[in-house]
Amino acid sequence: MDHLGTQRARDLLQPWDLVLRGGRPYQRARRTVLALSLLTVAGTPFLAARYLDRAWPAGLIVGATGSARVLGVELLDPLLSVGVWLARGGRPGLLAAALPVLLLVVVLGRFFCGWLCPYLPLLALSHSVRWALGKLGVPVLDLRLPGWVRFAVLGTVLAGSATLGVQLAVLVYPPALLARTAYRMAFGLGLGGGATVLAAVWLFDTTISRAGFCRSLCPGGALFSLLGVASQVRVRRVASRCTDCTACDVVCNLGLRPMSDRVDTGCDRCGRCIAVCPTRALSLSLEGRPR
Amino acid sequence: MNRRGVLGLAAGALAGLLARRPAAAAATLRPPGALPPGAFELACIGCFRCAEVCPTRAIRFPAGAALDAGQPFLALREAACVLCMACTEVCPTGALARIPAQAERVAAEVRIGVPVLDRRSCLPWSRQGVCRLCAYVCPMGARAVELVGPLQAPLFHAAGCVGCGLCEEACPEEAHAIHIVPAALQDGGRT
Repeated sequence: MDHLGTQRARDLLQPWDLVLRGGRPYQRARRTVLALSLLTVAGTPFLAARYLDRAWPAGLIVGATGSARVLGVELLDPLLSVGVWLARGGRPGLLAAALPVLLLVVVLGRFFCGWLCPYLPLLALSHSVRWALGKLGVPVLDLRLPGWVRFAVLGTVLAGSATLGVQLAVLVYPPALLARTAYRMAFGLGLGGGATVLAAVWLFDTTISRAGFCRSLCPGGALFSLLGVASQVRVRRVASRCTDCTACDVVCNLGLRPMSDRVDTGCDRCGRCIAVCPTRALSLSLEGRPR
Repeated sequence: MNRRGVLGLAAGALAGLLARRPAAAAATLRPPGALPPGAFELACIGCFRCAEVCPTRAIRFPAGAALDAGQPFLALREAACVLCMACTEVCPTGALARIPAQAERVAAEVRIGVPVLDRRSCLPWSRQGVCRLCAYVCPMGARAVELVGPLQAPLFHAAGCVGCGLCEEACPEEAHAIHIVPAALQDGGRT
């Protein structure tokens, strides 16, 4: 069904994604956290390289996304901890490091992708470039891969580690790639191959498929969807307020359709659908689905 | 996840399990406390934390995007390991087993590699003069390197050596007679 509203909804899309109509505090908080995330990932290595001899900031933070020790607390990305766990079996230390983030994912679902992934600011830039290219009349593709592809990628990455003898996630997972590229630059090792993969991912998202890597290829996103399957923090719609304008469907990075209540575990809780809704029919809530 | 998702996951896992293991790469010098070759590569998540805390920046990462892109190695000739054990303390997955920076624990547990001496380049062995630099910098002392003969030529004992590379780093540029090599590559102990 092609909606008259779709074109209007497309017009709503701005370089920085959306016209904020609701959920301003949520978006402000999210963008602040995302900016801090990127700053931490890109900045910590430079601080570490600069102040290494003074053992600072080793006491505050060691590492970045993927694996960090913040004020003495170990945090480990579930994708990496599950990969090591599958390849080598569980170890108490590994489990302890993985637990805090795992618990968050179980409660909040795929929130990492919408709230913490340092690739997201780069994705926003990709949206801007797409928008600009569109304005200039340059055609940009929006390929939509089937939903099972990301699970296939996840399966390959986790199982392939056993046969290839190397953790594969770190080679294709954008947060890990970003962190490693930042480290390489900070320690004067040159950009490295990770930057090439990252550039390929960004170009794919920009020219071939909008947020296509996040939506259909990222093994981390697939794993978070799986682990967060029981999460009750979901986008819900009050049908009586909805005008079927499709703005939410258009704005969703991950190809979900809040307007038709088709928001599954793939939702990253970014709240952009809530923010663009002209009638505030959508909300992120813990309650049961209103009927 | 729907049925297609489950099937996708299964198909991906199968594809991953069928992937052809590449020809074993030449063994590499890993940071101290590293698990044996094979186990280390599976446990390491390329987080860079070991390199971040390494005071001598001996820990490097390959520049390419190949399978080993996330795996740390040591460039001992450029910077030796000073056995501070900070890397083993920050490793989140146990790829580097934690070893306290105590002399006896380090001597007993650290085996980065084994020393191989090229006697044709070594100054005393090639009768060019007395040098003793390797023995002078060695933290393990006579356990790892003994000085023999009138020219105080070094005699390495792999069993007592932790492979920190201080001798390789100290060995005069024109000689560069000492190479720390992975234990797997040791060919009959030509020391």
